[in-house]
Amino acid sequence: MNVEFQINNSVSPSARFVSWVPSPCRIRMTNPSGATTPTVTIRITSTSAATAGAVVFRKGTTGLFSTSLSLSVPTNGTSVPFFIAGKFGRPSVNNGDVRIDARAGTTLVGSVKIMVRVRKNANNLTNGERDRLVAAFAQLNNQGAGRFADFRNMHTSVSSPQAHGAPGFLPWHRAYLLDLERELQLIDPSVALPYWRFDQPAPKIFTLEFFGVSDALGTVQFSPTNPLQFWRTDGVQGINRRPFFNTSAAPPGLRTEAQTFALGTQYPAFRTMEGNPHGSAHTSFGGSISSISSAARDPLFFLLHCNVDRLWAKWQRQNGRFNPALAASYDSNPGNPIGHNLPDTMWPWNGIIGPPRPPTAPGGAMASSPCVSAPGPQPRVRDSLDYQGSVNAVSRMGFDYDDVPFA
Amino acid sequence: MSKKSKASKSSKSARKPKGAKKGAAKRPSGRLMSVATNARKAINERVAAIAEAPLAVCESDENLQSMLNVLRSEEEPIEVRLAALQAIQAASFSVVTFESCRSEYIATLRQVATDPDMELRQRVLGILAREKDGFAQRKLLEGLQNPEKALVPPEKALQLLSNDVHAEAYAAAREIVNNPPSDTARREALRLLAADATAAPMFEKLLRDKDEQAEIRQISASALQALKPEKLQEHARAILLDTSEYDDIQATSLTAITQFGDEQAVAEDKTLMRRIDNMKDEASTKIKQSARRFLTKYGQ
Repeated sequence: MNVEFQINNSVSPSARFVSWVPSPCRIRMTNPSGATTPTVTIRITSTSAATAGAVVFRKGTTGLFSTSLSLSVPTNGTSVPFFIAGKFGRPSVNNGDVRIDARAGTTLVGSVKIMVRVRKNANNLTNGERDRLVAAFAQLNNQGAGRFADFRNMHTSVSSPQAHGAPGFLPWHRAYLLDLERELQLIDPSVALPYWRFDQPAPKIFTLEFFGVSDALGTVQFSPTNPLQFWRTDGVQGINRRPFFNTSAAPPGLRTEAQTFALGTQYPAFRTMEGNPHGSAHTSFGGSISSISSAARDPLFFLLHCNVDRLWAKWQRQNGRFNPALAASYDSNPGNPIGHNLPDTMWPWNGIIGPPRPPTAPGGAMASSPCVSAPGPQPRVRDSLDYQGSVNAVSRMGFDYDDVPFA
Repeated sequence: MSKKSKASKSSKSARKPKGAKKGAAKRPSGRLMSVATNARKAINERVAAIAEAPLAVCESDENLQSMLNVLRSEEEPIEVRLAALQAIQAASFSVVTFESCRSEYIATLRQVATDPDMELRQRVLGILAREKDGFAQRKLLEGLQNPEKALVPPEKALQLLSNDVHAEAYAAAREIVNNPPSDTARREALRLLAADATAAPMFEKLLRDKDEQAEIRQISASALQALKPEKLQEHARAILLDTSEYDDIQATSLTAITQFGDEQAVAEDKTLMRRIDNMKDEASTKIKQSARRFLTKYGQ
């Protein structure tokens, strides 16, 4: 007797990634030999090391999760649905570090290895996670000749009004990060974009092995084993980044997480975080990251923005602001520029060029995911809000933060 | 410049930050600005007030003018002026809000680029250079060609000019490589020349020179990977097979091959495979790590 797992409703190994949000899964019998009844009770459990990921199960879209699940699986090959979610606080460290087993009685009839893949605090990554991330970044950039150039060209002075200074600032950057993360995952599916928690000390980020150590001039030095030593963007060799703070501490003058949440429970108040901490985090350095036209040359930029997005996600959860239909979830002022209204599609993924959009649309459509269908190839502003699919399950975007549970 | 004008036109309808009108940030901004610009207040207090709400800078013309005045004034304490620069720059990330102030901001930066304070000059020239500002580029180049006119040290000028390299900068950088005023200036000149296709033979030579500093050889490898990647792979292989080579450059070479090598060619290279297999046990810790990563990639 054998069963087949479909994680995220797919048999593809590339879909074997879950987060805190319940992933729809199925199980079906592929070899019923030995079965004597039309259905067989199959017990599903998981196994993993104490430092690895952990998952929980449930049968339907509601109800409590448990560490095991019993399902009646037909012998005729019809699949049975169930859900897997990462156990909050137990993300994976390596790809496939959680094994899901199916047993009929005591007999193992199927198993599959999956990963609880979530965005983590970059300062807490293991050396392995760190090395996989920098290798994926280096490969995506490929000396300025790779796909990363599109991401550079999406974030420039010309395109800036699509992404800054108006309510779409947070939704646009959420889509931008997701697009980049999916490209990194094509290179190494075990990679999730980590965040630089800029209101806390993060000394492990500013090391030779990770995002580099700046000298007095602001030229970033890397270990000879770090592939970021080959970083190059726009013809500029290396990375220029000069911290105006001691990198073993947090930059001074930035709003803390609590102060950022205290900006208000309505989106128009909360989004003033675009100035402080967001803008202030950028300008806590000299060098590329401190100017809008060059910020995306520095891979640290993406960790900074990942934290901005995490703050939004956490604020959304605290205040119940996932539903675009709720006025407080967004700033739907009629004077919003194009690209900043909930129904607007977002540049460059919509491919629209010419005023008031920028003259080019680098990168094409949003990268797809083998795990989820949202936000689709041409995301609208509204599609960025319900990232966990808590309002509508099909809206889940396939990422989560280590400290923001499923709503 | 024309691109900036276009952005400005498209954003006029939303010049003021709506969140600032409705949200909590509006209320304290008057108090913050009043502390920020009050010369009788303690420096720390003023710096903290400026840092707290960069968006307040663009809430009104009056606020912006006040901050620009602080930035311009040589009478103001340098800490306060640097904080003002940082706050205005942070506000510039809100482009729609900031666009109406941009031309005046750039004009002020050009004015401050010749300020007596070196730190302020460096920061301001950095911002202008990243905007590919012609005024800043001319000043930086002039300083390289005539050190008496230099606003920043040559290494800084070279670093900033690399944001938008022109032929004159290549010539100045070559001159500095040949007659370096300091090791750092030479290093930055080489970084700048990494964008010059004609510099590839020089980088090949530097990479293979065992008497050269490790950092310069590392830069040369990186430059060569961009200019002539097939040459770097060739040299990296030779460096790895050379048992008298230094650990650092071997680690860089191994990283280059692991990350950017032709996978089929590398997999079929038995000599290289054997050498790296030995390295995983015999070499220094640094190389061992890289060797293991390589062998994992190639399924050894």
